[in-house]
Parts: sequence; structure tokens; C-alpha cells
Amino acid sequence: MEIGISHYLILSGILFSIGFVGVLRRKNLLMLFFATEIMLNAVNIAFASIGNYYGDLSGQMFAFFIIAVAASEVAVGLGLLIILYKKYGSLDLDVISTMKG
Amino acid sequence: MDYILSILIFFPAIAGILGFVVDKGSAKAYGVSVAAIELLLALGLWASFDTTNPGMQFTEFSPIISQFGISYNVGVDGISLFIVIMAALITLLGIILLRDDTKNMKNMIVSLLFLEMTMVGVFLSLDAIIFYMFWELSLVPMLYIIGAWGGPDRVYAAVKFFLYTFAGSLIMLVGLLAMAYLFHLESGIWSFNLLDWYTLKLTTNQQFWLFLAFFSGFAIKVPMFPFHTWLPWAHGQAPTIGSVILAAVLLKMGTYGFVRFSLPILPDASVTFTPFIMALSLIMVIYTAMVAFAQKDMKQVIAYSSVSHMGIIMIGVFAMNAEGLGGSIFLMLSHGIVSGALFMLVGVIYERTGTKIMDEFGGLAAVMPVYATVFGVMLMASVGLPLTIGFVGEFLVLLGFYKVSAIGTILAGTTIIIGSVYMLALFKKSFFGPVRHEKNLGLKDLDRRELTALLPLVAIVVWLGVYPKPILEPIDNSVKALLVQMENHAQLESTKEAIIVSKKEVK
Amino acid sequence: MENLVYIALFAPFVGSLFAGLFFARSPKTHLVGVVNSSLIGIAFIAAVTLALHVAEHGAVHVTMMSWISAGDLSIPFGFLVDEVSVTMMLVVTLVSTIVHIYSTGYMNHDKAYNRFFAYLSAFVFSMMILVMSDNFAGLFIGWEGVGVCSWLLIGFWYHKEDKTFEENPSISPSWAANEAFIMNRVADLGMLVGIFLIYWNVGSLQYDVVFNALPHLADGLLVSIAIALFIGAMGKSAQFPLHTWLTDAMEGPTPVSALIHAATMVTAGVFLVIRANPLYSLEAVHGVSMFIASLGAFVAFYAASMALSARDIKRIVALSTLSQLGYMFAAAGLGAYWIALFHLAAHAFFKALLFLGAGNVMHAMDDELDIFKMGGMKKVMMGSYVYMGIASFALAGLPIMAGFYSKDAIIETAFNDGSFIIWAILVITAGMTAFYSFRQVFFTFHGEERYKALGFHPHDMYKYVLVAMAPLAILAISFGWFMDNFHEFITKNLPDYEMSHETHHLAPYLGGLVIVLALTGIFIAWKKYAGKGANAWKRDEEFEQSFIYKLVANQYYVPRFYDEFIVQPYTMASKKFWEIDKAVVDGFVDLIGKMSYKSGDVSRGMQTGSLSAYLNWMGVGALLLIVAAAITALIG
Repeated sequence: MEIGISHYLILSGILFSIGFVGVLRRKNLLMLFFATEIMLNAVNIAFASIGNYYGDLSGQMFAFFIIAVAASEVAVGLGLLIILYKKYGSLDLDVISTMKG
Repeated sequence: MDYILSILIFFPAIAGILGFVVDKGSAKAYGVSVAAIELLLALGLWASFDTTNPGMQFTEFSPIISQFGISYNVGVDGISLFIVIMAALITLLGIILLRDDTKNMKNMIVSLLFLEMTMVGVFLSLDAIIFYMFWELSLVPMLYIIGAWGGPDRVYAAVKFFLYTFAGSLIMLVGLLAMAYLFHLESGIWSFNLLDWYTLKLTTNQQFWLFLAFFSGFAIKVPMFPFHTWLPWAHGQAPTIGSVILAAVLLKMGTYGFVRFSLPILPDASVTFTPFIMALSLIMVIYTAMVAFAQKDMKQVIAYSSVSHMGIIMIGVFAMNAEGLGGSIFLMLSHGIVSGALFMLVGVIYERTGTKIMDEFGGLAAVMPVYATVFGVMLMASVGLPLTIGFVGEFLVLLGFYKVSAIGTILAGTTIIIGSVYMLALFKKSFFGPVRHEKNLGLKDLDRRELTALLPLVAIVVWLGVYPKPILEPIDNSVKALLVQMENHAQLESTKEAIIVSKKEVK
Repeated sequence: MENLVYIALFAPFVGSLFAGLFFARSPKTHLVGVVNSSLIGIAFIAAVTLALHVAEHGAVHVTMMSWISAGDLSIPFGFLVDEVSVTMMLVVTLVSTIVHIYSTGYMNHDKAYNRFFAYLSAFVFSMMILVMSDNFAGLFIGWEGVGVCSWLLIGFWYHKEDKTFEENPSISPSWAANEAFIMNRVADLGMLVGIFLIYWNVGSLQYDVVFNALPHLADGLLVSIAIALFIGAMGKSAQFPLHTWLTDAMEGPTPVSALIHAATMVTAGVFLVIRANPLYSLEAVHGVSMFIASLGAFVAFYAASMALSARDIKRIVALSTLSQLGYMFAAAGLGAYWIALFHLAAHAFFKALLFLGAGNVMHAMDDELDIFKMGGMKKVMMGSYVYMGIASFALAGLPIMAGFYSKDAIIETAFNDGSFIIWAILVITAGMTAFYSFRQVFFTFHGEERYKALGFHPHDMYKYVLVAMAPLAILAISFGWFMDNFHEFITKNLPDYEMSHETHHLAPYLGGLVIVLALTGIFIAWKKYAGKGANAWKRDEEFEQSFIYKLVANQYYVPRFYDEFIVQPYTMASKKFWEIDKAVVDGFVDLIGKMSYKSGDVSRGMQTGSLSAYLNWMGVGALLLIVAAAITALIG
């Protein structure tokens, strides 16, 4: 069985769904980060495979961009997480809901 | 004299900014002198105004955003000239009437001066965007005046006033933008110049929707039934000066809008909508007069009577002949003078007794004879007694509207009956009969400050009632020009038939 | 001559300003009375001179300045002094002069003496505008002006408190004043409509232009104009059903009743019909004219019937005025305009005299109005007794007196016209008139001195006042003698009314019938009320329970009807409308406000502060967008 574009896209879709459900269901901020990373990488897979499929490099190029952005995002995000943890002693989203309307 | 209109518009605003640094104690004197200079400028404008020229005079034009045809464009004709003078006069007299112990006098003066700028600006603008700008800006000082110096429910009243009129004018803004877009489609250039718009021929369908958009802005301001309920609240809660300016000038912006925008730009739609406007106006005239009769609060009577009289003005605007339209513009002035004076008079008694409920008074004619006399003169002007200012406009409006609808005129004419019913009932309750409370026996009659504010109005009421010609003539010229423009501009034959510039030419 | 016109017009105005501006706040100033009376006197002299001039050279027409001009409309302040208006001017200024002089005595003790003269002179000015104007708009100025002055003067004693209807049918001076003003305004609307009709069909409001254009107008239009103008006339002249204000107007000081509500203002409606005679004599509006005549006859009878049982001395005179106005309209409606005008003038003289006499009685009796409390007063008030006797003779239409000539001519006209029903009503009314006027005289001046038991000490009016009333008495007697001169003078302007040969032949018998009826009426009154031991003040309890008496004493329940079916429903409806205004109209606006408030309140729940909840919402949103995109893609 040859692995074609559809397999990559299915994998990407599954990963994205996993990440999406994680984003919706998880209460821990750190876990949310993981979930978003999964979603980003799902998109990266899709980009890379579609780029390859069309023989167009810009898809893979874009995936690199996303990796770079995700990395810097994680750097900033984790820093904020540590401060939040120091302040509240927890990373549970229900605990740090100070912006209640 | 080249820049007199700009001076008229911006002098009060600049004076208002400078007013922030004026010493607290002399704020009122400062306000009086600025308003007096403004009135003198306005009178100077009248003096150099060419009364035989029906068109726009003293026009100024300088582009602001030329890509979109937005420009600073002002001008004055017979229709707007006297409203501007009246605005300046009422502002001056209102400031004179302010009590020396008004709290935050400086803020009051500054808001009034800014309000004056916006009022004069609205009536002088010839560019839709500038017009809209002044139109909306006028809400701000008024909001502040009601909200800061008003009665117990002032915040509710002020917010209601602001949001209600603001909602209407937003729809009007859409109409203005659509108008500019249609102009762009037609001619390929962007322009918000009113005089350009006058040349644009629109299909009846386009006119229909644009009329509705303009209507929502103007009708709420007038205020037409059933959009009038903000007015009793605003009047009920506003301080005297706020009510005076609101009734005398701000309401006129609505009817002026109909005259300046709806009629000349959308002649066919205006004629089509006449029965609709007539129906609303007749309800306004009769229904609000009856509501006025049911009031216990003196100020509410005058507030509802304002709505009733605005109904007469509205049918005059849509009479589509020189008598009715000219009469309605005259009535705008006379209603401004008379209702302004009546609100001042209510303010006078409120300051003395702390109440506006008519049943609390009684027998005031014996205690305060001069006050009763001035009130009586204004009452008679309000019910449209000949040889007072109130008669001329009312007579011309009803006369003009008779051509449109005899039944409508008879129904609107009941204003002379039911108008006198609520006014005389008010007068009887407050001024006749025995004095009901002993403390009212010691009430002081009008003092010098109050007389200074009221006597000029009495003089004007009599003067323009006996000799309205100096004002009626320029109005008549401009109104005829407006009607000619409407007639030339109309698409439908039926519209041309409805518009009567002069009977002689029809025959 | 122009100057004389202006003097006649503005002398009263100057008087009004003099009293109103300089003396309004000062205590009683005798100077005001003197100056104002002499200014009105000057106006009278000017009017006499003008009358002589008009008789010789014809009408004087002046235009002072333009008043309103807009569109094609152009209304000047123009004044026309012709035979008709100069007659009115003479009547108005003469009666006004005497009433002014009378008032200096009558109002002597009133605190608001100066104010009274300011109003009274202002009234004369308005009345002069009314009669002198050369166009309908000018007429309307005067029309409304007299209305306002009447309002001010009826409500002159405004401090009096409202009573119940049972205690005082007029409730209070201020109430009566408002009633008069508002009821007149109802009629004024009709008048305005007439003016609008004239303007849009003729293009001018000048009398001469309008009357020349009348023959070219359509019949239906002419009828509408005639009806509209007559509605105006009905209000001012208090014709049924707009009559209730006149009796209530008696709340004003008596000189006011004499001048405004008897001699001048109430005749303005008759004057309008006479002035517009080219309209009302057209064949097309014959129906309207007949209606005017019939209504006049009806009112004559209707008012006289109420006067039969009235006990209030002023109300009796007011009702007789109403009745006589009916006669005038009957004459005018039948086309005998000059006879209507003649009766108008004669009536002004003797009715003013009657009212002023009644004023003397009231003055003597400390404002007591009930004739049951008087009696035998001729001993103390000889002068007033003679005057009221003369006036009553004239009113009853006895020979030699002014009323005989004018009223008889009207009755003859009705006969001549073949309107025998109108004729019969007018003849019967003449008998009733004689009865109630002498009932009043006998009650007041003859019989037992009932006032003594009640502790009154009456004394007659000041001598100079009685002297000043003499011209009225002389005219009440002699005015009729000049009927032929008047006829010659006035028919230059008004259409003549020729009696047919037969009527002329029957005239002595017709006149005789009226005289016999009048004498019978007087005799019955004498028998019932004047004879010694007649016990006139004893009330006939049984009769007072009868339906007829109640009907008449309650003014046919017309005021009740108005209260019940107009005033109260209007008040109720106003209150209802106010509630609707607050609850529905404003409620709807508030509802919109509340809805946005509410929706904000509800959606606020979404903002929990929890990031995961937000993410959930975001997910829902994203899903919705995808679904929406999918649907549009599928449909598109």
C-alpha cells in the first residue's frame, strides 16, 4: 500500500481533532499548550504534504514559519505560565478566572 | 463681511474654550457678553443680508477631504437667517436668566457656548457631512446640561434623549452616505455639497428609501408622534435653560432638516409621503394637546404643547405652497420665541416655590401681577391670537394646508380650540381663584434679571405680530425659490401639480 | 378724513395703553377714568363727523400698512368707513362712552379700577377694528381681540373661588371666562375655514374683491362659505347651540355686561351677516339664509322661555339679549339687512340702559342678584326705576319706543316673506318679552320692600352717572322716530327691503296684534307680581316641581349636557391618552432599551472568566462558521 496524500491529510485531521478536543476539554493551562502545539503540528503536516503533492516548496516553507512562530510562542507562553503558577499556585483555568463578567 | 458665517459659528466655540480660564465669579458676565456679541453679529448679518436675493448668501467654501467631496461649505438664505438670529437671541436671554447661584456656573456657560456653535452650525451648513457633524455635536452639551443640572431622574432623561435622537440620526447618516453614493454613480464625482445634490434627479424608488432614512433622523428630532416620548422626559428633568434652548432651537433642527433636505432633494417622495406626514401630524396636534390637558405639572403642559405646535409646523412644511411653507418657517420662529418664554416663566415660578404642580398655586395673578401679565401675553401668543406672533404662522400654515386637504385643515384647526383649552386651564389653575397656600402670598414679582430676559420677548411677540413683514418677506422669497427648485426637479407630473408657487401662474 | 378714521380707531387704544402701562400697579386713580372716558368720547365725536361725511360724500377707505404678505396672500391693515361700519362705530362709541362714564361710578370702590379701564378701552379698540376693517382677516383680528377682552373682563374678579353648578350655574368668573373664550374659539374655527375657502377661490380677502367675485363661484362653494362664516357668527352672537357662555358671562362686572354682552360684541355675528350681505342674499345660499332666520326665531323663543322663570336680575337681561339677537338674525336671514342693523342699534341703546339700570340695583344691593330679595325699590331709586322702565318699555316694543319700530319691522318682514311659522314665533316671543321684562321691573321696584328684612340699605347711583345715562334713555325712546332717515342713509349701501302691498295694508293690524300681546304680557306681570298683597316672593312650590319649570330653570339641561357629554369625556379621554402615552408609546421605546439591557444581561453569563469556557465558545463559533460555509457551498 502506497502512502498517498490522503493518508497524510487524514493523519493531519486526526491530530487536529485531538488537539481541538484537548483545547476544549482540558482545564490545565499547560495541557492547553500541548493541545495547541498538536493542532499547529497537524497543520504543519498538512502544509508539508500538500506542498509535496503539488511539487511546490512554499508549503514546506510555510511549515517552517509556523514552527518558528510556535517556538517563540511557547517561549513566551511558558514564561507567563511560570509567573501564573507562582501567583496562584495552580494552573487550573477555573481557579484563575478573574475576568468574570 | 466675507467670513461672517464662520465667525458666527466658531466665535462662541473659541469663546467657550477661553471660558475655561475665566474667573468663576465673572463666568456669567462673560457668557452674557459673548452671547451678546454673537447676537450683534447675527443682527449684523441680517443688516447686510440682501432680502431680495432668494439664494444662498455669504457662502464660504474650502475643501476638507477633496477625494470624497467633503468640504467646509456654509451659506445663509431667508429660511436659515432668522432661525440663527433666534438661536443667538434665545441663548443670550437664557444666559441672562441664569441665577447667579447656579452651581458650576462656568461649566454651564461653556456648555451653552458650545451648544450655540452647534446650533448655528446646523442651520448654516451646506455640506451634508458638516451638517451631520454639528447635528450630532449638539447632543453633547445638551446631554451634559440635562445630566448635570437636571431633576431627580436626570440621568435617565439625558440618556434617553441622547440615545433616541442618536439612533434616528444614525439612520439619517446612512441616508446621507447613500445619497452621496448615488450622486457619485450619476456624475462620477464625490460630493456632499447640498447645492450639488439639489441638481440630482433620483428615481421615485430611490427617493422613497432616502426619504425614510432622512425621516427617521428628522422626525425624532421634531419630535413627531410616536417618536415624541423623549421630549417630556427631557423637559421634565432639564433645567430651565435646557428646556428653553431645547424647545426654542433644537426642535427646529428637525423641521429645518425637512425643509433643507427632504423637500428639495426628494420632491416626489415628499409629495407621496404627504398623507402619511399629515396623519402623523394630525395625531400630534390633537392627541398631544389632549395629553397636555391631562398634565398636572405646568412644565409638562408646555412640553406637550410644544409637540402639538410642532405638528402644525409639520403640516405647513408639507403644504407644498408658499403660504404654508413660509408660514411654517415663521411658526418655527414664533414657536421658538413663545415656548422659550413660557419655559422661562415656568422656571421663574419653580425657582420661587420649588414646585411646578399647578394645583399648588392658584391666585398668582393677584400676588405676581407682572408675572401674570407676561404669562398672559405668551399664553395668548401660544393660542394664536391675532396681532401676536403666534397668529401669523398658524394662520398661514392652516391657510396653505387648506389647499392640500380641507378635512386635514379642519382637524388641525382644532388646535385653536384644544390649544386654548389646556392653556386656559393652566392659567386658571395657577393664576386665578384664591391663593391656595399661605406661603405663596409672599411671592416676589419678577425682578430686574427676569424682566431683562422676558421683556425683549414680549416686545418681539407684539412687534412681529403687528408687523411681520421684515421677516416674512425674505422667508417668502427663499421659500418661493425653494418651491421653484422643487417643481423643476420633480419627476412626476402629480408632484408638479401638488407644488404651488403662485396661483396666478397656474391659472 | 383719514385722520378722523385713525382718531376714532386709536383713541380707545391710547386710553388702554394709558391705563395699562402707567397705572396698572398704582391704586385707584380717578384720572384714568376721566382720561379714558374722554378718549372714547373723542372717538365718538370722530365717528359722528365721519358719519356726516359718509352721508354726504360716501365711504372713506384708508390703508394704513401691509400686515401679512406671503405667497399670493396680501393682507393690509385697511379700514373702510361706509354706511354700515359708521353706524356700528356710532353705536359702539356712544354706548362705550356712556359705559365708561358709568364705570367711573360703578367701579369706584374696586381695587383694580385702573386695570378695568385698560381692559374696557382695549375692548373698544378691538371692536372698532372689527367693524372698520376692510377685509376678513382684519375682521378676524377684531373678532379675536374682543374675545380676549371679553375673557379678561368676564374673569375680572378672578379671585373668586369655583362653586358647584348647583350653587352657581356659572361656577366662577374665571370658569365663565374660559367657557366663553373656548366656545367662541369653536366658532372661530368655522370662520377661519370660511376665510380659507374665500382665499383659495377668490385670491383675496378684501371685501370689495370678494363680493365682486361671488357671482362667479360655484353654488356649492358659496353655500360652504356661507355656512362657515355663519358658524363664526353663531359663536360670537351666542346662537344655539353655542349660547351657554352668554348667561355665564354675567359673572363679569355689570358695565361689561352692558357694553360687551348686550350692546356691542354679541352683535358682531349679526354685523358679519349684514356685512356679507352680497353673499347671503345670493339665490344659491337661500337655504342658509332661511336657516339663519329659523335659528334666529328659535333662539328668540328659546331664550325668552328661559327668561320667564329666571330669578337672577342679570341673567334675565342676558337672556333677553339672546332673544333679541334671535330677532336680528331672523331679519338678516330674511334679507332685511337694514332692519336687522336698525334693531341692532336700537337694541344696543335700550339694552345697555337696562343693564346699567340693573347695575344700579346691584350696586345698591351689594351685588345681590336675586330679584326675590328686592321689591319696592322705586322709593329709594327713582332715577334707576325710570330708566329701567323706559328700557323695558322699549324692549317690550310698546309704541313710540325705539323697540316698537325695529321689532315691529322684523315681525312684519317675517309676515311679508310668507314665513308664517317664524312670524308666529316672533309674535308670541314679543308677548313673552313684555311679560318677563316687566316681571323683573315689578319684582324689583314694586310691591313689598323685602330687602328691608334682609338688612340692605340701598341708595341710588351717583347723580352724574344717572345724568350720563340720559342719552341712552333718550335714544331708547326716540331712536325709532328716525327710522326713515336711517333707511335712506343705510340703503345706499345695504339692499332695500320692500314690503309687499298687502303687508303694507295689513301693517297696522299686525302692529296692533303685537302691541296687544305685549300689553297682555305686562298686565299679567302686573297682576301677578305688582299688586298689593300679591305675595310675589312666595314661591309656588308645586309649580317648581313641574317638569316644564325644571326644564326651563336648568336652561333645558344644555349646560349639563355639555358637561356630561363633552367636558367630562374630553377630560377622561385626555387622562386615558396620557396613560397610553406613558404606558404604550413610551413603554415601547423603553421596551427596546430594556431588550438591549436584557440581552446584555443574558449574554453576560458567557463571560465566566474561564479561558476554557471561552475556548469552548470559540469552538462552537468555528463549527458554526464551517457549517455555514458548507451550507452556502452546497446551495451555491
